[in-house]
Amino acid sequence: MTGHNDLNDSELLQSMMTGDEEALAVLYRRRQAGIYRFALQMSGSQPIAEDVTQEVFLFLMREAHVFDPGRGSVSSFLMGVARNHVLRRLRGEHLMISLADESGDEDSIEIADADFSPLDDMTRAEMIERVRKAVLSLPPKYREVVVLCELQEISYGETAEILGCAIGTVRSRLHRARVLLLEKLRPEQVEDASAATVKSARCFA
Amino acid sequence: MNCQNFEVVATELARGQMMQADARREALEHADDCDRCALRLRDENTLTMGFKALADEMASFEAPPELELKLREAFRVRPTPATVATGSKPRTLYWVAAVAAAVLIVMVSVAAVRLRRSSEPAQHAIMETPPTVVTPKENNKTPAQNVAVVSNRSKPKPRVSHSVATNRSPRQRKSETPVVANHAREITTEFMPIGYMIAANLQEGGQIVRVELPRSALASFGLPVNMDRYNEKVKADVLLGVDGLAHAIRFVQ
Repeated sequence: MTGHNDLNDSELLQSMMTGDEEALAVLYRRRQAGIYRFALQMSGSQPIAEDVTQEVFLFLMREAHVFDPGRGSVSSFLMGVARNHVLRRLRGEHLMISLADESGDEDSIEIADADFSPLDDMTRAEMIERVRKAVLSLPPKYREVVVLCELQEISYGETAEILGCAIGTVRSRLHRARVLLLEKLRPEQVEDASAATVKSARCFA
Repeated sequence: MNCQNFEVVATELARGQMMQADARREALEHADDCDRCALRLRDENTLTMGFKALADEMASFEAPPELELKLREAFRVRPTPATVATGSKPRTLYWVAAVAAAVLIVMVSVAAVRLRRSSEPAQHAIMETPPTVVTPKENNKTPAQNVAVVSNRSKPKPRVSHSVATNRSPRQRKSETPVVANHAREITTEFMPIGYMIAANLQEGGQIVRVELPRSALASFGLPVNMDRYNEKVKADVLLGVDGLAHAIRFVQ
């Protein structure tokens, strides 16, 4: 057992493919929490998160040979599989929680009135809940970068591996996602007064 | 720095990411001067704090313990154990297997041919073969064609000459040359030119003479030499032109 813990993910995977059940167990214990949290943060549903976690490792048992070390790490591979399963479930069940109208593809960036910060007067618990719901309300392509980069604290490079896109794409999506989140987190009274916001008003001091 | 530039670095600034010291200082100075960008930065920082709080809140979340048991059970009863892979794609493995199979088939074929050759009786006694004269009937043919003519006349089939059966028809016997008649079964190579074969030298006919050569002569023509039989002789048909010079050779077994 101790010997298994000393192995890296690739070695565990190789060992698992030869029929070593303990290697699977160690790899599972090492990676299941991240996968489960990713699925939970993406879907907001514990049953889906459990299903996805199970599906990821069942897939690994069946199709471990498709893992290519040249394309990234085992953890990125597993997270990529999890992402595919989550997106499939979301497409089927539309479990996204909407706080407001999903205006994820808006091109304009609205900047709030300088006199008011929407997140100022939240308690910690309120803030966690609102951020959680706001993240769930993002379109999937923005949600996944927020979950990976901000909540899982995965680097841009590894996120790019998981999503199969360029690092620049990750960076720009994250920037856009944060802007969308700030808009969504604005309190209702500010939403009502949104006409007062200055659209793309920028000073050029 | 202006607001547009600040917008570009606001996320990195709030996330505490690595950035150039000058850019960071300029962005903070701009936020001090611009109320709008100061609020933007404050919101970004608060959002980052919100992410950290949410991440901390969920840090202990993990899949239920029974899931591991289910997976272990599934691993035990999985239909076919996964084969060892070194990261190469299955398509690559299929190609490797196909190439290995092809090499195996070739090796078996070569072994069969060699076994067949070695099992043939040593019935080809060395003999002085009367020269076969090629008459110059086909003057328009190239040397290669002439060689082919000679080859065809000496043997009905270019590669393998079948033994002369006693029950053959008179017409068949009549068409066969003495060389063939004295050999039960021969395998020959194609005629290979010796030096520069000039067409004019074969226009007026030629002769085929059966000779014996050291087996090492095979190597001179790029043919494989069995080192176990290196000291043995090998038979060959030499094509002589009317000038008496050897123009082509083929090896006979």
